[in-house]
Amino acid sequence: MSDDEIFAAAYREHYWAVTRYVARRLAGHAGEVEEVVAEVFTVAWRRRAELPRAPLPWLYGVARNCLANAVRGQGRRRRLLARLGNDDAAHGRYVTSGPEAEPPGGWVHEALARLSAKDQEVLRLTAWEELGVDELAVALGCGSRAASMRLHRARARLRTEIARLGPAPAAPHRPRPATAVDATPAKEHGHG
Amino acid sequence: MADELELLRRANPVPADAPPHADGPLDRRAERHLHRLLHEQTISPPSRELRGSRSRRGVRLAWGLAATAVVAATALALLLGGPSTPHAVAAPRPLVVRADATPVPLDRLAERAEAAAEEGGPALRKGTHVRSWSLGMSDDAPPVTLPEERVVRWTADGRHTELVVATDPRHPGRPVLGEDEDGNPRQVEDGHVISDTTYPPSWSDAPPHSRPPHDADRLRAYLEEAGHTGSMDTSQLLDATGLLLDNWTLGARESAALVRLLADTGGLRPAGQVTDRLGRRGEAYVHDGTGLRRMLIVNPDTGAVLGLETTFTRAQPEYGVAAGDVMEYSAWTR
Repeated sequence: MSDDEIFAAAYREHYWAVTRYVARRLAGHAGEVEEVVAEVFTVAWRRRAELPRAPLPWLYGVARNCLANAVRGQGRRRRLLARLGNDDAAHGRYVTSGPEAEPPGGWVHEALARLSAKDQEVLRLTAWEELGVDELAVALGCGSRAASMRLHRARARLRTEIARLGPAPAAPHRPRPATAVDATPAKEHGHG
Repeated sequence: MADELELLRRANPVPADAPPHADGPLDRRAERHLHRLLHEQTISPPSRELRGSRSRRGVRLAWGLAATAVVAATALALLLGGPSTPHAVAAPRPLVVRADATPVPLDRLAERAEAAAEEGGPALRKGTHVRSWSLGMSDDAPPVTLPEERVVRWTADGRHTELVVATDPRHPGRPVLGEDEDGNPRQVEDGHVISDTTYPPSWSDAPPHSRPPHDADRLRAYLEEAGHTGSMDTSQLLDATGLLLDNWTLGARESAALVRLLADTGGLRPAGQVTDRLGRRGEAYVHDGTGLRRMLIVNPDTGAVLGLETTFTRAQPEYGVAAGDVMEYSAWTR
């Protein structure tokens, strides 16, 4: 297969996984997701000769850079916008809501938000994109040992924040209504 | 207790199997983009491709008013530079509505526009000519206002050119705030070319690239598709109006349909007459949102939209924004 054909196959296979990756990180800015995803694949197209055999972690790495570019410039505007109350993020509507009134995992998000951006990303890639350590290394652009160490440290820091913010000790096993987020998700990669 | 990764997994805001991003066949937009990548080998680098429409798109992104029209990477173009960052900027004052003018209801204006369209008038043309003033913000410097003129022209073979220059028609010949090759604001000569781009052929059949209808109901559906919204409220309709006019120079019939659509949607209060930044007389219609006021300026005889101004109604001192500051202004001409 030519580079173009390999790229097209990767695009078709992973378009939605990349879209979810971007959507998870553009909380409340649903309208921007498609455009950022288009940017991700445009960059990937230009670099298609580098596309690895398992392209999804590499695509996540491209997406990470595209998002960083977008977020750096928009941070201040976003904060002001949130204050003015004109978008979804300001109202917390980005959290998938279940039948219960309380947004599921709200305090987990809060704990996550207290970590450094690097810690957050390594944890999200592991928990949400379900990357293994070797894939994590590709997405982060580092070696496997470094990825493993970063994950280990980030987990410890998240654990600490969760202990500070989480429900009282008796509460963790409280029954929760089944929601989409409770279902065991399909592996984020390897699907068709 | 579940471990921290398990808790985080449960808090996934976009689960793999949840619509609208669950796995499945590509949608039309994704197919179109793939086709474009595979068959338009001369696709422009994003920085150039995006910069031209930055002032419209970037600001709209920032305010989440019609975010779908935006390419997020445009944000970089608004980042301020280093030590040479200019601070003193002549930000435009908001337009002043004449107190002695009797406001014309939008319904009345829609009737005038429909009558004018029946008598002929200009034809629809793809492409746009817009002058804009837009506020750029950064984390480490006060906001700046970037005045630009953007001209987009399409040729019969499906190509289009986009010329963006830094200029402020209020101060012809005087240096203005433009941007350098990296997109950082700096003082430039009047008419400094920010970008001059020729795009390869494109025959997109989706709004806002497809031909807009000249019937209010169909135009509403068109704009909802262009803006990726469901049923549009006034604010979304104003966003979509900007998007439309950034792509098309409307003919008399399309202008009449647009003003009828705006009148039917409601939420726009007739405010009186204004003279816009290009010296044109217009009727002003105001929509008050949270912290922002938007003013649509319409030609009183033809119903053609002349401009759209967005102004802060609340001070945000730590962002360097005062009540009454203009966030963005666009003036469209033929």
